[in-house]
Amino acid sequence: MSEKKYDVVVIGAGNGGLTAAIRVLQKNHSCLIVEKHNLPGGFATSFVRGRFEFEASLHELNDYGCDDNIGEIGTLFKELGVYSKLEWVRTYEAYRMITLDGKYDVTMPLGVDKFIEKMCYYVPEARKSITDFFLLAKEVVEAQTYSSSVNGNTDKKYMIKNFPNFIRCGSYSVNEVLNSLKMPKKAIDILNAYWCYLGVDCDRLSFLHYASMVYRYIKRYVYVPKLKSHGISLALEQRIRELNGDIYYNCEVEKILTDDDRNILGVQLKDGKVIKCDHIIANCSPTTVFGKLLDKRIVSEQEKRATNARKLSGRGISMFLGLNKSCDELNITNHNYFIYDTADTVKQYKLMESLKTNYAQATVCLNRAYEDCSPKGTTILYFTSLLMSDDFSNVSEHDYFKMKDFIAERFISTFEKATNTKIRDSIEEIAVATPQTYARYTSHPQGSIYGYETHTWDSLMPRMMMMKEDNTFKNLRFCGGFAMRSSGFSSAYISGDIVGRQTCGDIARKGR
Amino acid sequence: MSMKFKRSIFGFIDMIKFSHLTQNRAKHLSMGENKDVSTNFKVNNLAESLHPLYMKAQLVKINKLNPMMTEFVFKRLDGTKFPFFKAGQYVSLQTKINKSLVSRPYSIVSSPEEALDNVLRLAIQKSGFFSTYMCEKAKVGDEFVISEPCGDFTYSPIRDKKDIICIAGGSGITPFVSMAHAIADKNEDCPMTLFYGCRTLKSACYLDELNKLVSDKFKLVIVTSDEKNDKYESGFVTSELVQKYCDIENSTIFCCGPENLYKFIKKEFSKYDLPIKQLHIEESCCKDLDIENPKKFVLTVFMEGEIYKIDCYENETLLTSLEKAGLNAPNRCRGGVCGWCHSYLIKGEVKINIQKDYRREADKQFNYVHICITYPLSDIEIEVPKAY
Repeated sequence: MSEKKYDVVVIGAGNGGLTAAIRVLQKNHSCLIVEKHNLPGGFATSFVRGRFEFEASLHELNDYGCDDNIGEIGTLFKELGVYSKLEWVRTYEAYRMITLDGKYDVTMPLGVDKFIEKMCYYVPEARKSITDFFLLAKEVVEAQTYSSSVNGNTDKKYMIKNFPNFIRCGSYSVNEVLNSLKMPKKAIDILNAYWCYLGVDCDRLSFLHYASMVYRYIKRYVYVPKLKSHGISLALEQRIRELNGDIYYNCEVEKILTDDDRNILGVQLKDGKVIKCDHIIANCSPTTVFGKLLDKRIVSEQEKRATNARKLSGRGISMFLGLNKSCDELNITNHNYFIYDTADTVKQYKLMESLKTNYAQATVCLNRAYEDCSPKGTTILYFTSLLMSDDFSNVSEHDYFKMKDFIAERFISTFEKATNTKIRDSIEEIAVATPQTYARYTSHPQGSIYGYETHTWDSLMPRMMMMKEDNTFKNLRFCGGFAMRSSGFSSAYISGDIVGRQTCGDIARKGR
Repeated sequence: MSMKFKRSIFGFIDMIKFSHLTQNRAKHLSMGENKDVSTNFKVNNLAESLHPLYMKAQLVKINKLNPMMTEFVFKRLDGTKFPFFKAGQYVSLQTKINKSLVSRPYSIVSSPEEALDNVLRLAIQKSGFFSTYMCEKAKVGDEFVISEPCGDFTYSPIRDKKDIICIAGGSGITPFVSMAHAIADKNEDCPMTLFYGCRTLKSACYLDELNKLVSDKFKLVIVTSDEKNDKYESGFVTSELVQKYCDIENSTIFCCGPENLYKFIKKEFSKYDLPIKQLHIEESCCKDLDIENPKKFVLTVFMEGEIYKIDCYENETLLTSLEKAGLNAPNRCRGGVCGWCHSYLIKGEVKINIQKDYRREADKQFNYVHICITYPLSDIEIEVPKAY
């Protein structure tokens, strides 16, 4: 074994891993991040094609906030020491939802009051219920902030006293709660448009999870980093360097080394090199850790059962277009589109189980948020959809590129039809990402992009409340999209924050 | 503030339900199957098959194409086939020559179908250090490292016009041989007219192979600059010549060859005012600078916890200096595009080849460089990830 020993090795330099590393380093513990790819950030990255730099995954960052309206992520970035390294553009539009069945074409603004007013414009009888929704959502976010601040060890009495409604609606789905608020069907359809960001239909998606996300978007506004999400990743990485942390790129962990009593000894890299450490933070899936990295003999029955019980979330499909005309010329009017077959999330989820029937897309025209994101007279458009099954598993290597073209065709024709625009002739650059692409760059099982699905029993709240129980392996903790805060940029940063601080606690307890 | 929802759904019973959330999850987690966690995922397996990063390959055949060009046929040793790829892509071929660890990108000549039969063909023109080694020293049985196929010099039915005009200069013929095969094999569906500019008929290569592929979807026009022949076109590949065979405005042009060909073609076709998307030019490697008595500097390299102090020169890219020192620096395109050599410049003055600067905006701000297009102007400290 080599000489140097680290207090902590972080496996994966994704949003969670980078944040966790900074937390560890801020307490003066030594830390090494090992990353398989040659860049930091995981999903938070960008790539260049010709004269375009494409954002790889971030649609917009929620709960960042600025100055007088600072959000949880803005506050975290200040604590991490990266806030001043970044520049942001604030956006004003929440989304435009178009359904292909012709029922909806609505555009919703950011800001709670504006959102309520616009909702009442579309559905006048919704005022009371949508107002109630935001009051409830506020309480949900405050309760979650409290829960995170105590690392999930919530005080029952305090919770009941301060967040009674949070607890009352805690075990219900989005649709159950919205119905109980007597929200008109049309308003529910419009409010539920963000559902695809969490990838669970609103009959099975926890209200707490959804309400907190919607609130973080609508209340705090959303922000787009001027340097794309790659800029955020490099800012975090630079902070790690400032704190004397180490990062190895192009470097894959092959094994987590332990003794027979499940004490962490270190990690073994793909080239055979061994790095000693006492603690591991896994910014990768428990599936990978318990299925591949740890010696099978020492994985407990409980760990096997728990990992096998979980369901992978939607697999990602994306397309990136660089267009050689401005969005004005192309008549692309909005920043953020949700284009669905139907506003019925249960039906839509079903349709997304097959490539044949999935026409849904979340589409971003980045120039509508940040005009200078591409050269003058050009436009960046990116499209994302989820596939809720393993349909892509059956693609053969031989047909793989044709499949990419099929996906591109589908995205383009659906967008043109829904928005009544013509973009095809202006495509200067095109890149398509499949579940295989996501598997390649992030190693996520089956190319799923949202970690484990946050459906019914495995929703956000019980995950948060079970942090202690889920921590089955001493000195091994998880962050990122598969962890307790589930997926999404903000969630991953917060999970890294929690796990980084928890690991510092583990180290301190041992030292005592 | 607190709020009262006087609805039956929110009552005392819901408080209890809330406290059951964890029990319920614990119950479901305990009901998962008691078997080893599988990591055998089809999507990940295909991703690995398409993108193995680096492969071990053996040189199985050497074909002299003409005095300058040699074809090398490889088979993969750490797998039963090469990844399927898009015709027009390249691989990076790597080997150790004396102390140096050298790699160069070469367009794949063989077809995507051949890859699945474990055949990969590259053609190399004798010119510099690496190509001379290959053409003179490499022998059947030698082992090499080959990168996964990469690059975007490929046809897109979405972006490009249906008809494509391909213009090859000299050794730039290689990606088009693969494309012609891909069309014949129905892996691409784009009627192609290939203009092959060469000095003399004798200096052309792959003529037999290309002639066999000629069809209603693939036309071959040979253009010799140094000799005249009734059967072929002569002179240069001018826009007038291309216009004779193709509808330029309704075609997408792909061009591969030496730098002077690119200059010529850009000028030739400028009168058509084609949008950028209609003219694809294959990137070329970043070369040494022409400097007399180049200054020598100290290059301190931090690589996976090790520190190396090596020489570097103002006329050579940092990548070249690393390779000469035998350090396994990541690289593929050597032309600033692929970003594989993304490295953190800790300290020092550098000169970057602006024409080939395809870095992300954030890279520029946070002091990242692509070492394949970066030359030192002082002593340098840099952190470079190991290639593998």
